[in-house]
Amino acid sequence: MLDIQNLNVVFGTARLRVDAVKNVSFTVRQGESYGLVGESGSGKSTVLRAICGLAPITSGHVRVDGKAVATPRSKDFYRTVQMVFQDPYASLHPRHTVDRTLSEPLAIHGEKDAEARILQALKEVGLGPSFRFRYPHQLSGGQRQRIAIARALILRPKVLLLDEPTSALDASVQAEILNLLDDLRRRMGLTYILVSHDLAVVAHLCERLLVMRHGEAVEETASEALRSGKATSEYTQSLIQASQGFTRNPSQPAHATAG
Amino acid sequence: MMKPLLEVEDLHVRFHLRTGIVEAVRGVSFQLGRERLGIVGESGSGKSQTGRAILGLTPPPGEVTAKRLAFDGVDLLTASKRTLRTLRGGRISMVMQDPKYSLNPVMTIGEQIIEAYQAHAKASRAEARDKALAMLEAVKMRDPVRVFSLYPHEVSGGMGQRAMIAMMLVTDPDLLIADEPTSALDVTVSMEVLRILDELVAERGMGLVFISHDLKLVSSFCDRVLVMYAGRVVEELEARNLHEAKHPYTQGLMRCLPTLANDVRPLPTLNRDPSWAL
Repeated sequence: MLDIQNLNVVFGTARLRVDAVKNVSFTVRQGESYGLVGESGSGKSTVLRAICGLAPITSGHVRVDGKAVATPRSKDFYRTVQMVFQDPYASLHPRHTVDRTLSEPLAIHGEKDAEARILQALKEVGLGPSFRFRYPHQLSGGQRQRIAIARALILRPKVLLLDEPTSALDASVQAEILNLLDDLRRRMGLTYILVSHDLAVVAHLCERLLVMRHGEAVEETASEALRSGKATSEYTQSLIQASQGFTRNPSQPAHATAG
Repeated sequence: MMKPLLEVEDLHVRFHLRTGIVEAVRGVSFQLGRERLGIVGESGSGKSQTGRAILGLTPPPGEVTAKRLAFDGVDLLTASKRTLRTLRGGRISMVMQDPKYSLNPVMTIGEQIIEAYQAHAKASRAEARDKALAMLEAVKMRDPVRVFSLYPHEVSGGMGQRAMIAMMLVTDPDLLIADEPTSALDVTVSMEVLRILDELVAERGMGLVFISHDLKLVSSFCDRVLVMYAGRVVEELEARNLHEAKHPYTQGLMRCLPTLANDVRPLPTLNRDPSWAL
């Protein structure tokens, strides 16, 4: 479904040159969910942005459904690939109602029957028709992220690019959104690429994943391997360990017990 | 039994707004000795406002009342501004969430640490400089002399946060309040920062209030945990007995996190019972 070969993304030139993504290759099959994990500055979000045209592809190939993507991306591309952004507080237009946010992609692509499609989209993400004429500030963080997902899904894309879709949300709301994403994928046969710094979230939603660091791919592995603690690179091991919570070094002096 | 370092009894923080009164904290009580206390809750649970109220940093329309709010026997609600000034930054200090916003962008890190030290200790500039360098070394900066003369924008998030810890501990406080000290940092960096914080707190025998939304992190770092929901403490428990949590909110909060160890799907979600907020 998605084939990325030797992708390089470079920002700036000469002294200001930053190689944000260096020679990253991976393929994602139809219906699969693929994770990109790494810390800030690892280039994981830049890969997503390069796929959907928000960052330049300096060299390498990005093929969607067997076809190389054109720059600028065509309308057809955005019917196939849509993106959900990290912060639902920043990615929805504050002065547009939910209805207007959802009807814009339909208008751009000349879709008819907007009203029914909007109500259907709201239903799909678990919100009732009463949300249709609200503004983003009248919604909670989780509800906003549901709207962002509804906006991405309203054109019936095959691929969703998810850039840290739950990291701005509380833990309990994160669980709801993860369940929703899991459910939508099964029902609609979607393909996901999920970017996250949280190994547990990626392992939950994805079958395979790529660990990135400083713009380079460190290792490609499967969620199953992560769960059983199998990782070939030291860096992945340290990420696994850090995700288990804080561990006090037993050789350290125990905390003063006199208090 | 030793006298507690911090006593909080029936703390309320209210905001008088145009639209009515919002009670962010509703009757929180706890005592703290020289131990690590974690306060956990989701956004809007009042955890940060509790921390701020202790330091008298509640933002303007807010009003703080309590039956007792005392630090080492000093009543913080009736104390003069002068007394508060000597306590704040001197004996109680606070590490904030994001070093990008809470360090002074136009002063070098070294100058900021010196300023913090000289505000509370009578010391010559040379002494203060030595102390600042020693503190930067204590937070494991690789090259303290270089970091001393850097501006906040020239250092990474992890270094900035360590610089802030250095600044907050330079006056040898008895109580440190850390409000989400690692939420803006990457996981591996945040473990490093926590390790440094942990060592310094243990070495100096300080009391620590660790405020975070991350139940797993707090329970692995602290001795005791207060779980807050809608401005109240719904449960207080020993960190190591977290798995024995009784309140459905605490249990729900623990279960709804995806873990590497178990693959549960769908993830259990939290059904918020309106009676929890009563």
